[in-house]
Amino acid sequence: MEKKIGVYICKDCGIGEALNIEQLESVANEYRPAVCRVHDFLCSQEGVQVIKDDIQNEGINTIVIAACSMRVNTDVFSFDPLKFVTERVNLREHVVWTQPPQDENTQRMAEDYLRLGIMRAQKADPAEPKTGELEKTILVVGGGVAGLSAALEAANAGYKAVIVEKAPELGGRVLKMKKVLPTKPPYAELETPNISEKIKAVQEHPNITVYTNSQVVSIEGEPGMYDVTICSNDAVSIKEIDINEEVKKGGPARFPLPECSSPETIKAGAVVFTIGWKPYDATKLEEPFGYGKFKNVVTNWEVEEMASNGGIKRPSDGKSPKNVVFIQCAGQRDENHLPYCSSVCCLTSLKQAKYVREANPEAGAFIIYKDMRTPGLYENFYKSMQDDDGIFLIKGEIIGLEEAEDGTVNVKIDNKLLNTKDIIQADMVVLATGMVTNMVPEGREPKLLTQDQEYIGDIVSKQTEDGVVEELVPYPIALNLKYRQGPEMPYLKYGFPDSHFICFPYETRRTGIYAAGAARHPMDAAQAAMDGAGAALKAIQCIERTSEGYAVHPRSWDQTFPVFRLESCTQCRRCTVECPFGVLDEDEKATPQEHPYRCRRCGTCMGACPQRIINFNDYNIDMISSMLSELQVPGEDELFPFIVGFICENDAYPAFDMAGINRLQLPPNFRLIRLRCLGGMNLVWISDALSKGVDGIVLIGCKFGEDYQCHFIKGSQMANERLGKVQETLSRLMLEAERVKMIQLPINEYDKLPQILNEFAEQVKEIGANPYKGF
Amino acid sequence: MAEERVLSPDIQFIKELRAVGGETVKKCYQCATCAVVCPMAGDDRPFPRKEMIMGQLGLKDELITDPDIWYCHNCNDCSKYCPRGARPGDVLGAMRAKSIKEFAVPKFMGNIVTNPKMTIVALAIPLVIFLVLLGATGHLRIPEGEIVYSKFFPIPYIEILFMTLVGLAGISYIVSLKRFWDGITSKNGKNYIKKFDDALLETILEFLPHKKFTKCETNADRKNGHMLVFYGFVGLFITTLWITFYYYVFKKHSPIALSDPMKWFANLSALALLIGILIILANRGKDKGVNTKTSSFDMTFIVIVFLLAITGILTELIRLLGIAALAYPTYLLHLMFVFYTIVYFPYSKLAHMGYRALAITYAKMTGRDVE
Repeated sequence: MEKKIGVYICKDCGIGEALNIEQLESVANEYRPAVCRVHDFLCSQEGVQVIKDDIQNEGINTIVIAACSMRVNTDVFSFDPLKFVTERVNLREHVVWTQPPQDENTQRMAEDYLRLGIMRAQKADPAEPKTGELEKTILVVGGGVAGLSAALEAANAGYKAVIVEKAPELGGRVLKMKKVLPTKPPYAELETPNISEKIKAVQEHPNITVYTNSQVVSIEGEPGMYDVTICSNDAVSIKEIDINEEVKKGGPARFPLPECSSPETIKAGAVVFTIGWKPYDATKLEEPFGYGKFKNVVTNWEVEEMASNGGIKRPSDGKSPKNVVFIQCAGQRDENHLPYCSSVCCLTSLKQAKYVREANPEAGAFIIYKDMRTPGLYENFYKSMQDDDGIFLIKGEIIGLEEAEDGTVNVKIDNKLLNTKDIIQADMVVLATGMVTNMVPEGREPKLLTQDQEYIGDIVSKQTEDGVVEELVPYPIALNLKYRQGPEMPYLKYGFPDSHFICFPYETRRTGIYAAGAARHPMDAAQAAMDGAGAALKAIQCIERTSEGYAVHPRSWDQTFPVFRLESCTQCRRCTVECPFGVLDEDEKATPQEHPYRCRRCGTCMGACPQRIINFNDYNIDMISSMLSELQVPGEDELFPFIVGFICENDAYPAFDMAGINRLQLPPNFRLIRLRCLGGMNLVWISDALSKGVDGIVLIGCKFGEDYQCHFIKGSQMANERLGKVQETLSRLMLEAERVKMIQLPINEYDKLPQILNEFAEQVKEIGANPYKGF
Repeated sequence: MAEERVLSPDIQFIKELRAVGGETVKKCYQCATCAVVCPMAGDDRPFPRKEMIMGQLGLKDELITDPDIWYCHNCNDCSKYCPRGARPGDVLGAMRAKSIKEFAVPKFMGNIVTNPKMTIVALAIPLVIFLVLLGATGHLRIPEGEIVYSKFFPIPYIEILFMTLVGLAGISYIVSLKRFWDGITSKNGKNYIKKFDDALLETILEFLPHKKFTKCETNADRKNGHMLVFYGFVGLFITTLWITFYYYVFKKHSPIALSDPMKWFANLSALALLIGILIILANRGKDKGVNTKTSSFDMTFIVIVFLLAITGILTELIRLLGIAALAYPTYLLHLMFVFYTIVYFPYSKLAHMGYRALAITYAKMTGRDVE
């Protein structure tokens, strides 16, 4: 496509007063644009009309707007991305609002940004989306309360849903509950679960197909075109192997997926993952709580089952208990068991205390807690349970339990409220054990599932050319994905699927697969039902947007796709390994196999590829390299040090905007180049910049590691890892490693930018000028 | 830290406590705001928070022997600031009522007096006694001539009847207080830093100017009412001694002339009692920025004292007006309320006098007192 560039410079918002606009125009004209115009008020109707007229009359197809941040006026400067390239040069927030007006260095910065912007636009092409008619059925894995609600919501919205449930009947754990927490105002009384009506509604719905006693034995494909194999439980065979032995014998470092003697294959467009939870294995709680040792020590789940099957009875003699002690956080918020809070058990104990009280008005229910946690409106439920004469809430710690001859358990507590040591003679002790996601297979310790590993699996030692390498081999659990990166979704911690669960609920690291319910994080039945509905909506959105060629999340406006120049691929596997979303599979020779609809367009693969064969129409290696070569690196006597900043456009870019909005003064030494994610940082740009004579390079990205903030999970972390390898490049160039720095910047810490930038500039100043300057 | 104990909540006690004004005890969620705002709570002693916890746990034995509940002067600063509406002030009032009821002997009397449904019975008892006595001795009629109450109810009858009853009530009260003292000292230890006599004297000297009351903010007005009632009763007690002295030593019989200093003193005392109780009543109904509830235990007593004062004053006024047909029945009613006040003393609100005095004495002896 022939490029016809229009450059539009806005003078409003202080730009005209702070900068020499004529000078800027002449810089633009160096690039021989078809038109270059200056406007007093570009975001006005008249201003935009000027651009529209040029499109109409001059055939402009590449629009460079030198005005405000790309994050504002997006509705005003909106041109069809399939026809036009629009580039926003941020003269306002990033230049005139953070630099002194009418200053030589400010002018220099503005000119540099204009050059970078025009070059970026020159190197960009409009998006060419891949669109198509896609399968719209939603597969729901797990038929508990979350799954039922997901299927119903999807079906009521006109989509077909298929539920695959492993158990013989739908309903999951809620079906076994006597009562559930209040779901309506005033949120003070227990309710009878409506799960049976829900099951009936699902069974009678024409859009829903139910497979019980069945499991998903394989899923392959991508959003809008999944091939799902469903198999009835009795036809499934799982080959148990010792993976270390297999690998030693030269077998693949992969667990075999379950096999099926009578498979049934369906097509699905998206998947809702609601496989639920299981109680923490209480046999591990023999010490200090006596589970398994004392007959009358039971778990909260056992009590729930008793309550719905004829009432709570003492295991030792079948009598209805009078004094019942509930021990909160039994094996929870405890590094030796579940390190987290399940957020439901305080409510469950209050509920079960009510069962005890209702069965016997003389009974006492003691709840020994660390903290009572009854989130949200459940406070009202807590209040109403607390008001019961015989429910005793005691903040305390368990000192020990002893069993008397008659089966009474003497619970000795450190009563923190009264500072006394009390003994409660309990007819029965209930352990408030926590919730473990069913992502964690039996026998696995959730506490060991820390962030160092991404998958649940076994570590195998592999003999390679570089010696013995340890590799994590993921287990198949419930999805059995035929993905290169493994059969299940990566977890965040303790087995819960990875996603930013506050910012991006339901999202997982497998595009098109949405987690909901207690498999996602511990929650109660009402929340799980809502969660299922939320995930169903995400699944629908995924199918619809994917069919139009849009990225689903988080770049939901983006219609570009990565383009692989496979003829130059060296099968190094970096892209297939590093993609945070498991987009790429491999053929036998390890050449990447694309699954474009799984892609989130972060460009991590582009950053990873040493051959630079992965590019987007409007975001590519050549583009950034060309931009770097456009920089007018000033002499040491003019502006020193001269530093390039690669910044993440999700958090760091708006942080700079906020610095501008707050008129923070930033040093004039930095030229910022935005990346979709720091994960797209290709090392070639570092050497490009340094050989150009840039004195220092800073990468500003999101916080990574625990509580990461990266929109693409691992982008900033990946960039940091790559920087470890930059040493090589630097030593080749005979340059100091300290010239390149990675900074993690949470968006709310924009106020630290002046300090961060000044410190780095100071540091580079101390190292001295880049010896390549001027070459 | 105390040694281990078996925690066995008394659910019945919780029910009773809630029924006599401690309805909100279970609402407390231990934020300790009450202990912070309470002017009576020492820095190292959580109070009334501790009592709220004990109340929730139904620790009856510990609560009724807890001297701290007597520390509370029901100023309700705590109830005003309680974020949960747990009204610790009211709950502590209920706890004191329970404590009085538990220690008072004989127990059935306690049940009669503390149960609002039994108030009618409690009042009917003296009336029946009077009617039977007067009827049997042929006095149950309006006497002729000048109104002299001893013509209707001869002094010896009153002396014998009331002296006996006062004696019995006195014994009962002393036994009750002894039980209470034994309870608090055995539960809370005997590490004394002061002698009983010194501490008691200190307590009484503190009571006279109502020193602790002045610490109240929310309910500061109540101090005046309580003080008037207190001194009204003291005055009337002195009047009673005075008139007895007149009767037996000077052979000076009722009615005493209005010019007599004793009469001035008596009338002043009666007025103090009436005004005091009216202040208390008005204050209960006043908006103090906090929703508190007056327990039936308190309310019954306030009404009885009011009726006692009003019938006493009316007895005198109607006599002066010379309306015999009204004067004698009013006198009889007045005697009924006097009976209630004196004979039910160990079981009624009035008993708090001795309990509070002992609890504060104990606090002073053990160094728990807050200045």
